[in-house]
Amino acid sequence: MAGIDSKDIHKIIVACDAGMGSSVMLASQLRKQLKDSGVTVEHTPVSSIPDDADVVLCHAGLAARARAAAPGKVLVPFQIFLGDPAVTRLVNTIKNGGTVDA
Amino acid sequence: MRDDLLDPRAVLLHESAPDREAAIRLCGRVLVEVGAVAEPYVEAMLERERSISTYVGEGVAIPHGTNASKEDIKRDAICVVRFPGGVDWDGEQVVLCVGIAAREGGHVPLLASLAEILLDPDRAKALREATEVSQVMKELT
Repeated sequence: MAGIDSKDIHKIIVACDAGMGSSVMLASQLRKQLKDSGVTVEHTPVSSIPDDADVVLCHAGLAARARAAAPGKVLVPFQIFLGDPAVTRLVNTIKNGGTVDA
Repeated sequence: MRDDLLDPRAVLLHESAPDREAAIRLCGRVLVEVGAVAEPYVEAMLERERSISTYVGEGVAIPHGTNASKEDIKRDAICVVRFPGGVDWDGEQVVLCVGIAAREGGHVPLLASLAEILLDPDRAKALREATEVSQVMKELT
């Protein structure tokens, strides 16, 4: 699907298998970085990504499962749990405006 | 934070393990012994690790179970196990394991603190080199 404009991003989901480890850490960081932007950040298991998610972040190794579980969502895969360039780009796009590619 | 989330008995700072599997088994054992999880959770931690490494940077890994294994969790709990000699973690060197058992959100503030620590190289080094249980408790809670 096409990307999403930063002004249409209201909810970001950080998804991982169990939703109890790395996704929690990343979500806490994102929440802090985006606290003035009005964007909500939640962490969930890949199998329960909510319908109102605008962007889904997940580890590249889980991207296929996330795509199957939440078809049509903009998915941003990352490799490193803290400090991944893809996540930094997403934060900058939300803060400065622009499009997040699917 | 709930008092029983990080039990001082679940902080072991002078351990060694020949490999990643042994290190994870040790973390799982600690969680079993403090009454946080049932035995099968340990295997689920190994299964989870085989799918994607729980290495999070700065010599720290956060082993935990799979989504399906949440039924083996009796209460949210964290353990901290330090391996001063390091453990090969699929090519990374891990000195500190923060083992997690969580079916609710009680551990979220602790992981948020851990993320902050790991993004600050000096604090990460202090945590990796901590030799007193009280130091670790203070840093993380």
